[in-house]
Amino acid sequence: MRGTYLGELEELVLLSVAALVDSAYAVAVRAEIEGRANRKVNISAIHASLYRLEDKGFLDSHMGEATNKRGGKSKRIFTVTTYGYKTLKEAQTVRQSFWGSIPQLSAQK
Amino acid sequence: MKTPVPPSYARRMLKWFIADSIYHEVEGDLQELFEDRLEAEGVRRARWQYTKDALFSIRNFKLRRIRNNFNHLVMYKNYLKIAFRNLLKHKGYSFINIFGLALGMASCLLILLFVNNEFDFDGFHKKKANLYRLDEVQTFGSVSSQKVALSMYPMGPNLVTDYPEITNFTRYWTMGKTLARKEDKQYYIDNISRVDTSFFEMFDFKLVDGIKSDLFNEPSDLVLSQSTARMIFGDENPVGKTLRMTGNDIQVTVTGVFEDVPDHSHLQFDALISTKFWDDENRRNGWGSNYLNTYLELSNNVDVEALEAKFDDFLVRHMGDEVLDYYELFLQPLPDVHLGSMDITHDYNNHKKFARSSVNIFLMLAFFVLLIASINFMNLSTARAATRGREIGVRKSIGAIKEQITGQFLAESILFTFIALLFAVGLCFLALQPLNNIIDRELSMSLYLVPLNLIVILATTMLIGLLSGVYPALVMSGFNPVLALKGSGLSGSKSIFRNVLVIFQYAIAIAIIIGTILATRQLDYMQNLDLGFEKDLVVTMDMYGDTNEKYDVLRSELMNQSNILDVTATTQKLGNNLHQTSMTYDGDTARINGSSSFVVVDVNFMDFYEMDILEGRGLSKDYAEDNNGRSFVVNQTLAKEIASTVNGDVVGTPFHFGGTDTLGTIVGVVKDFNYNKLSLRVEPLFMSRQPWGWSEVNVKLKSGDLQAGLRDIEQVWTTLFPQRPFEYQFLDDHIGEMYQSEQQLTKVISILSVLAIIIASLGLFGLASFTVRQRLKEMGIRKVLGATVSQIVMILSKKFTLLVLIAFAIAAPLTYYLMDEWMAGYAYSVGIGLGIFLIVGIGSWLIALITVSAQSFRVAKSNPVETLRIE
Repeated sequence: MRGTYLGELEELVLLSVAALVDSAYAVAVRAEIEGRANRKVNISAIHASLYRLEDKGFLDSHMGEATNKRGGKSKRIFTVTTYGYKTLKEAQTVRQSFWGSIPQLSAQK
Repeated sequence: MKTPVPPSYARRMLKWFIADSIYHEVEGDLQELFEDRLEAEGVRRARWQYTKDALFSIRNFKLRRIRNNFNHLVMYKNYLKIAFRNLLKHKGYSFINIFGLALGMASCLLILLFVNNEFDFDGFHKKKANLYRLDEVQTFGSVSSQKVALSMYPMGPNLVTDYPEITNFTRYWTMGKTLARKEDKQYYIDNISRVDTSFFEMFDFKLVDGIKSDLFNEPSDLVLSQSTARMIFGDENPVGKTLRMTGNDIQVTVTGVFEDVPDHSHLQFDALISTKFWDDENRRNGWGSNYLNTYLELSNNVDVEALEAKFDDFLVRHMGDEVLDYYELFLQPLPDVHLGSMDITHDYNNHKKFARSSVNIFLMLAFFVLLIASINFMNLSTARAATRGREIGVRKSIGAIKEQITGQFLAESILFTFIALLFAVGLCFLALQPLNNIIDRELSMSLYLVPLNLIVILATTMLIGLLSGVYPALVMSGFNPVLALKGSGLSGSKSIFRNVLVIFQYAIAIAIIIGTILATRQLDYMQNLDLGFEKDLVVTMDMYGDTNEKYDVLRSELMNQSNILDVTATTQKLGNNLHQTSMTYDGDTARINGSSSFVVVDVNFMDFYEMDILEGRGLSKDYAEDNNGRSFVVNQTLAKEIASTVNGDVVGTPFHFGGTDTLGTIVGVVKDFNYNKLSLRVEPLFMSRQPWGWSEVNVKLKSGDLQAGLRDIEQVWTTLFPQRPFEYQFLDDHIGEMYQSEQQLTKVISILSVLAIIIASLGLFGLASFTVRQRLKEMGIRKVLGATVSQIVMILSKKFTLLVLIAFAIAAPLTYYLMDEWMAGYAYSVGIGLGIFLIVGIGSWLIALITVSAQSFRVAKSNPVETLRIE
C-alpha cells in the first residue's frame, strides 16, 4: 500500500473534493471539512494537502472562474481522479472489514 | 469609504514565499477568506487572520518549486560539462593557462612560507613582547660610530637593581668550542654558553629533563642539549653525571637536558653553564669591556623610549661623565633581532641573521610574479572565451540572461584557479627541498594547514579566480547573440585592454630581470674584488690554551712539510669586523688619545697575506722590537688620521695601544685592505705582535694538491695534539659566508626572475596562437595573392614586437632609477652599465619573437586551401 497511503487530513480533503463535485477549491474544501467534521483547519494546510494529492495522482485540477471577492483571481478547481476514487474505496473496504470483525457486544457498549 | 484590504506586508511575504506558478490561486483563496471574515468578524480580526494564514503558508515554501530547481541542476551540470569539454578541447592552451598560474601560485606560496619563517624567528618565546636585547652605540675617536650587539658584564644586574621596570636579565656569553672528557673519552661540544640562572625563565627553550628552578644551583652545573647528551652519554640518563672540561679544567655536573634549539631561534647553543663560575669581584666591576650579550625582561606597558632615555644617567653613574663620549645604550625588541640587525656589528650570536629589506623584496616579487601569472590567466581566458561566441549565442537565444552568462564564466574561472592551486601545491611539494637547501632553512608545508592560513589561501585563490574571470565574463555576456551566432568574434577595439596587460606583464618581467642581473653582478664584483690581501689557499685552524703552548713547535713542524708554503697566526680572523681598542700616540704638540681597530698578528702576517707596504716596513722576525710588541703597523686610513696631527712622517711616530706610558713606534703603513664586508668602509686599524696567545693559525698551501697539504697539516696536528680532533676552515669559504645572506637572496631572486619571464612568455605564446588563429583566413588570402612565408611571419610578429618595445621603454628607466639607489648603499659598487639594459631588452624581444613566430610560422607554412575552407 506504500505510495497510496493517505494521511488522515488527506483522506478528509479527498472526501471533501469528491463530495463537492466540480466546485472543489481550497476555500470550499476548508468550509466542507469544518462543516462536516467540525474541524478548523488552516488554509495553508489545505493547500499543502491539495497539491500533494495532485502530485500523487489522486486529484486533477483546472482553473476555474475569477470573482471580485477573490480580487479578480481565478480558483483552482480540483476533481477526484479514477485512481483517487479507487484508493478511497479501498480505504473504505479496509475499514469495513475491520468493522465486520468487531463483536457486536463491545460495539454497543 | 475605502474598502478594507488585507495587510500589504503579509501579501508581500506571501508573494516572496509562494512559488510564482501557484501564487495567484493561493492569494485568491486567502483574499476570499479575508472577505468572508470581514463580514463575519470585522476588519481587525480579518486582517489578523490573513496575516496568520500568510505566515502559515510559509510551510508551503517548497510547493511547486521542485520542477524549477530540477531545471537549474541540469543547467549547472551542463556548465560543468562544457567547462571540462573546453578544457580538453584545447589541451595545450588549458595546460599553459593553468600551469602558468600554478607556477605563479607555487612561487608565491613558497615565498610566503619563507617570509613567515623569517617573521616567526624567536616567535616561540611566550614573553617575546617583553624581552629586549641590550645593544650599544660605540663612538671611538675617528672610527665611525657603530651599533654593536655587545654589552658589559655588570650591566645586566645593575640595570635590574636600578630600574624597577626591568624585572629580569640574563647574560649570554659564549665559551665557544670546548672539549669535554667523560672517563677516557673526549668530545667537542661546539657551542657552550654562559648564562644567568634566569635564562630558562625568560626564554622558552623546552626542558626535557631537570627542574627549571634548580638547573644552575651550583657554579659547576651544566645543561645539555638532547643531541649532545646522546652523543656523550648514549642511552644513559645524563642527569647527575659528571664531565671534565679541559682548558678550564672544571668538573661539571649535568643537571638538565633541553630539546635541541630550533632553527628559528637567533640564539644557538649545545650546552649552557651558569656565569657563577666566572663571577668574581673583577668581573662584577668590569665596566668598559664588552664581550657578551645582555637580554632584559621589562614589565608590561613600559615606555621603552622613556627607559632608554634614562640609560645615559645609568652609564654616568657607573662609569663617570666621559663615558657618554663613547657609549650609548639602546634596546632592541626580541622579535626584531633576527631581521633588524643588519646595521649592528659584533653580532656574533645571531643565527641566520637576515635583512628585513630582503624579506620585503621577496614579498614584492612574490606579489608581482603572482600578478603576472594572474594577468596571463585572464588574458588567455579572454582569448579562449572569444572562440565560444556560438555557445553564448545559443545560450542567449534559448533564454539565458546576461547575469547567467557572467556567472557561468566567473564560476569557470574560479574552478580553473582551484585546479591551478592543486597543481601549485604539488609544485611546492617538489620544490620545497631544493629551496630549503638554497636558503638554508627548514621550511615545512604543514604551515598551510593552519586554519587561518588555509582560509587566506583559499580566499586569495577565489579572489584571483573572480578578478581574472570578471573581464572575460563581462565581455562574453555582452555579446549580441545574432552576431555571436554568425560567428564574428570580438571586435578589434576590445583587445586594447589585453595589449595593455601584456605590456604591463612584460614590463614587470623585464624590470625583475634587469634588477636581478645587476644585483648578481654587484655581488660577484664584491666577492672577486682585490681585497688587499691574498685570501686563496689559506687554511685556518682554531687555537686553544693548550695548543698555544706549543705554537712554535707547531709552526716549525708545519714549515717542514713540502706542501705548505707559510704559517702565521692571528688573534682575529680576517673577514669580520675587527675589535676596537684605545690608542695613544705623540702628536706634534701633545700626546693624543684615540681609538682604532686592532689586531694582534705574528710578525710574518703581512708577508703571508702579501699586503702592500706603502711606507716604512712590515713587521719582521729580524727586529727584536717587532717580536717584543714595540713596533706597530698602521693602515692607510689610520695613517691619514695621524698625519693630520704630526708634522712629517707617520713612520717613526711614538705609538701604543692605550693603558701605558711607554710608547712603541710606528714602523710602517700598510695599504688599506678589506677585512670586513665590502659594503662597509675600511676603518682605522693597527697591527702588532703581542705575547697574548693566538686564537687561530693560518696555513698557506701550495696550489695543486690541496688534499695532500691538508693531510700534512692533520698529521702534524694530531701528532702534537692527540687530545684535539683536527678541524679546519678555508679562509675564502669564511669570507664567502659574509655574503651568504646576499647570495641566498640573489639565488632565489634569479629563480623568480626566470619564472617571471617563463610565465610571461607562456602568456604571450597562448595569446599569439589565438590571435594567429583569428587571422587564419586573412593569411590564407595573402598567401594566395603571393605573400612569402617570411612576410607572413613578419606581419604576425610585428604587433608583439611593438608591445615588448613599449614594455621595455616603461621598465628600463624605472629599473635604472631603483637600482641606482640600491647601488648607492655599497662602498664599492659595480655601476650600472647600459649594456645590460640593451642585452635584456633584446633578449626579451627575442624570446617574445621566438614565442610568437613559432605560432605564426605554422600558419605561414599552412596550405591556404585548408585555411580558406573554414567557414
